[in-house]
Amino acid sequence: MEILVCVKQVPETKDVEVDENGNLIRDGVDSIMNPHDMYALETALRLKAEHGGTVSAITMGPPQSKEVIREAYMMGADKGYILSDIKFAGADVLATSYTLSQGLEVIGLKNGYDLIICGMESTDGDTAQVGPAIAETLKIPHVAYVSSIKESNGEKIIVEKDMGETIEIVEFSYPGLITVTKEVNQPRLPSYRLKLDTRDRKIETLTFADLLDDDENNFGLKGSPTQVEKVFPPDDNIEKVMWTGNGEELSEKLFNELKELKVI
Amino acid sequence: MDYNKITKEDIEVLIDILDDDRVTLREDINEDYSHDELAELKAFPEIMIEPETTEEVSQVMKFASKRNIPVTPRGTGTGLCGGAVAMEAGILLLTTSMDRIIEIDEENLTAKVQPGVILMNFSEKVNDLGFMYPPDPGEKSATLGGNVLTNAGGMRAVKYGVTRDYVLGMEIVLPNGEIIDTGGKVVKNSSGYSIQDLIIGSEGTLGIVTEITLKLVPMPKKALTLLIPFDSLEEAIGTVPEIINAKIVPTGIEFMEKEVLLAATDYLGKEFPDTSAPAYLLLKFDGNDKKEIEKKYEVAADVCLENNAYDVYIANTDERQDVIWDTRGALLEALKAVSELDECDVVVPRNKVADFVNFTHNLEDKHKLRIRGFGHAGDGNLHLYTLKDDLDDETWQKRNKAVMDELYAKSREMKGKVSGEHGIAIAKKEYLHADIGPVQLGLMRGIKNTFDPQNILNPGKTV
Amino acid sequence: MSNYDIGYVNCSLCEKCIDACPFDAIAVVDGKIKMNSACKACGICVDSCPEGLITPVKDQRASVDKSQYTDVLVFAEQIEGEVHPVTYELMGKGRELANKIDQELHVILLGHNLMDQTDEILAHGADKIYVYNQKALHHFDVQAYARAFEDCVEKTKPTIILIGATPVGRSLAPRISTRFKTGLTADCTILDVRENTDLVQTRPAFGGNIMARILTTRTRPQMATMRYKVMEPAAKVDNPTGEIINFSVPEAELETRSNFISITKKPEVESIEDADKIIAVGRGIREEKDLEMIKELADLIGAKIGTTRPLIEKGWTGHHQQIGLSGRSVRPELIITLGISGAVQFVAGMKSSEHIFAVNSDPEASIFNVAHYGMVGDLYNIVPKLIEKIKNGENVFKKIEKEAVAI
Repeated sequence: MEILVCVKQVPETKDVEVDENGNLIRDGVDSIMNPHDMYALETALRLKAEHGGTVSAITMGPPQSKEVIREAYMMGADKGYILSDIKFAGADVLATSYTLSQGLEVIGLKNGYDLIICGMESTDGDTAQVGPAIAETLKIPHVAYVSSIKESNGEKIIVEKDMGETIEIVEFSYPGLITVTKEVNQPRLPSYRLKLDTRDRKIETLTFADLLDDDENNFGLKGSPTQVEKVFPPDDNIEKVMWTGNGEELSEKLFNELKELKVI
Repeated sequence: MDYNKITKEDIEVLIDILDDDRVTLREDINEDYSHDELAELKAFPEIMIEPETTEEVSQVMKFASKRNIPVTPRGTGTGLCGGAVAMEAGILLLTTSMDRIIEIDEENLTAKVQPGVILMNFSEKVNDLGFMYPPDPGEKSATLGGNVLTNAGGMRAVKYGVTRDYVLGMEIVLPNGEIIDTGGKVVKNSSGYSIQDLIIGSEGTLGIVTEITLKLVPMPKKALTLLIPFDSLEEAIGTVPEIINAKIVPTGIEFMEKEVLLAATDYLGKEFPDTSAPAYLLLKFDGNDKKEIEKKYEVAADVCLENNAYDVYIANTDERQDVIWDTRGALLEALKAVSELDECDVVVPRNKVADFVNFTHNLEDKHKLRIRGFGHAGDGNLHLYTLKDDLDDETWQKRNKAVMDELYAKSREMKGKVSGEHGIAIAKKEYLHADIGPVQLGLMRGIKNTFDPQNILNPGKTV
Repeated sequence: MSNYDIGYVNCSLCEKCIDACPFDAIAVVDGKIKMNSACKACGICVDSCPEGLITPVKDQRASVDKSQYTDVLVFAEQIEGEVHPVTYELMGKGRELANKIDQELHVILLGHNLMDQTDEILAHGADKIYVYNQKALHHFDVQAYARAFEDCVEKTKPTIILIGATPVGRSLAPRISTRFKTGLTADCTILDVRENTDLVQTRPAFGGNIMARILTTRTRPQMATMRYKVMEPAAKVDNPTGEIINFSVPEAELETRSNFISITKKPEVESIEDADKIIAVGRGIREEKDLEMIKELADLIGAKIGTTRPLIEKGWTGHHQQIGLSGRSVRPELIITLGISGAVQFVAGMKSSEHIFAVNSDPEASIFNVAHYGMVGDLYNIVPKLIEKIKNGENVFKKIEKEAVAI
């Protein structure tokens, strides 16, 4: 089974703070593998353990994003690719998914592929859109929010997807794409033995010139229909309130607040 | 012992010293305050008070010594040996309202706190300022006063030491109500007997700590944990001296066995990244940059592989580390969830840990009592738990006593100590006394007598 | 190439932009501020420059003829014939936007045998509803849905498309936006529209720590997914005048390589860690049987019950329900603590909850330090009355759902 996994480097911080001018405060933040992608990679590695084949990890980003491929190697990925070019910078969801699709096609041309696996979303963008958008570009089926792999064989896969209120079971024949939630498994930790073994393993770089599409206008900022006009701190901080009163008054207040929050 | 019972007039005096709402009478005292976290010991105080200032504590002690009424100091009651239980009734003095962080001195890297400050709140506060308070006992809701009086250790002891190493100064109310100051914001001190060091670890028998000056260190920016599977606990623990020999100092070295690990994952309802091995070492590293930590952990990882570790798994993100440490942190709760238990926290030389654990395995068979262990492999401090399971009370007590007797005897044979960090109080008094012999015990009792001739402060504990 | 122009002449190399960039995309190269390929064009550096020397490269790209696209199209999500209540919220917002640019509110409904649901949608004020009533659309097959949606967009050319940020919406929307090579902004919490029909989309970024305002200025339609329960649902109109328009696509075009196998109601979450609503009870509960009242309240609002250690020690509740340092850490959208004093060890396990309500008769209880809404009172007086009110009260969503099914 040929499995391609999309991984992304994200800033490690959980709590990015914003100063009074709306600027992000950062203090020696390292980059890590997007936590959701660990689940995607683990899913791929378990499928490989069952059916054999290859797991390839692909990322898009500046050259230092190679780190995330090294880490994929330490978890057990066989091959790694990085899509890196200044022409890819400033990409929104459409341009990002298009660039990744182009990369996946180049890789697919070499080895073919059965399944593409993505994390449900990334912690720095949390749009959850790139996976489905890749599937659309490649014109293959996708299932988002996969919470469990039910069955798989050489031709098709049966998965369970989390629809919030309901659970759906669906199947599709390869090639296709899934995005997985954190319920799907508990990812293994990177292995030091694999780190030693894969130290010299190659990571293939794909630049704009390596892709099939040679129209710059489909990549990076040029290929992005959305643009960020402004970022600003949210005016959150729920006001603290204290109420006193009898049971009737307090239950009324509680009732109204819960209604306000649309709980009831 | 002969103490006066608390009278109506006494209550009036106490209410006068404090306020109405900081004095709780016997009938209103919640059952929680009659025991601590683990010991089967139970005793209600006659009255419970919550002073807020040193002056109030001093007045209470003056009054108590005049009236000959016993006083038991208590923080959040998370001890494991009965130290904060009012065995002789009298006054239970809660320090939890003395919970102000008085000062954090960013120039001298010190903090001055009241004793009722909760460890977790304190850590959070200093972390926010970019500092770390290194002592890291498992029970994060304990008070700093309690930590000082038991000389709490924790998971960073290998690199950073224990609570004693971070106490710079204290304000202490003596049993007669007099107030003394020790230490201060000085780095060196060669000024006579160290009263301060006597108070640290005295379990509230010598004086009531009302203010503590603690040393802080700059907060390391990065941390990383290695999870290392081994074929046996002997191999795992046997590797520890080699790691130390490699001249890299991890922040902490912990060990756990598969069975306890599985109990914890079951308890938490979470999968663990690896459960393939019978035994695990956990190594934690901290430092200021990724590269520096990477160098250190690689040395340790090489040592582990040379010593037959299956592999070395690298938890390099918060999320990955949390899975491991949450599970480590739940080991005791997981055991408590399945059975009543008793504990032993002996500390033995680092190179004897494996032998000791082996010995407990034999004891299990010999006495037909389940014993589960985990602990700080890096500093020789073991946490062993005997489980009652479904034994009847009598059998349990008999077998438990037999096991405990053997455990402490073994520790003595290995030149270990009765308690690494939980303390003595009542639960381990017998073993301590056997361990140190009459001469040392005499010295300890003499010290107690000098501080507290009436024996009103936390009577019956430790000595 | 860079996404920004930098006024090098006046640049003092203060490096504030380097500090501000969340992606490490800026560095000093050969004595000049340079952006590298990590740049995500987030615009944070623009505001960080004290001299205002960083400006976005002017967008020279051709724009579509915006006047060719009119009206707001809302996706009516249905599962097993039940219209998801987010639909009415999208319609509420859609109506507001449509009015602002003097255009219409349209709804697209995909499914099979859905005639009953159209009335309810029209009753909420849709001007037109496009119905694709086809067997292949009975269950959510994302490619089939995307094809029908594509057909509708081609036929009606909407300027704005609103879709719920639900699992279905978040799966479907990117396929459509990609198909039309247009912009899609996920999880919007605020939406507004400018006179030139540009949709002003605001969404939280970086875990909600900053807000980003995003525009799609040169392509149409503009697409946004919107979170459930952040906007007001559309009001009902007295005399619905909307029109039902039946569309269809050839069955063959709806065929895909995916097969639906089954759908089941999600089993109730076992663990309180996954619950989005929690009622936590503590020592304030006097007797074990009183937990029945708590259970009733929890069921009414769809919450899980969490507890503090004393109740577990009494054997009234299970270990898996314990919240706190030695139990589970929870981070629900809503937690109501009843009769819990707020010991540190409990608070540590729940303080990051989004909305914290606390009921305790002791005004000094430390739980009030973390509560957003504190109520000093006896839970035994409050809870039964609250249960009564919920039972009698208008339960907005339940009602809509029920009516939708009943009609």
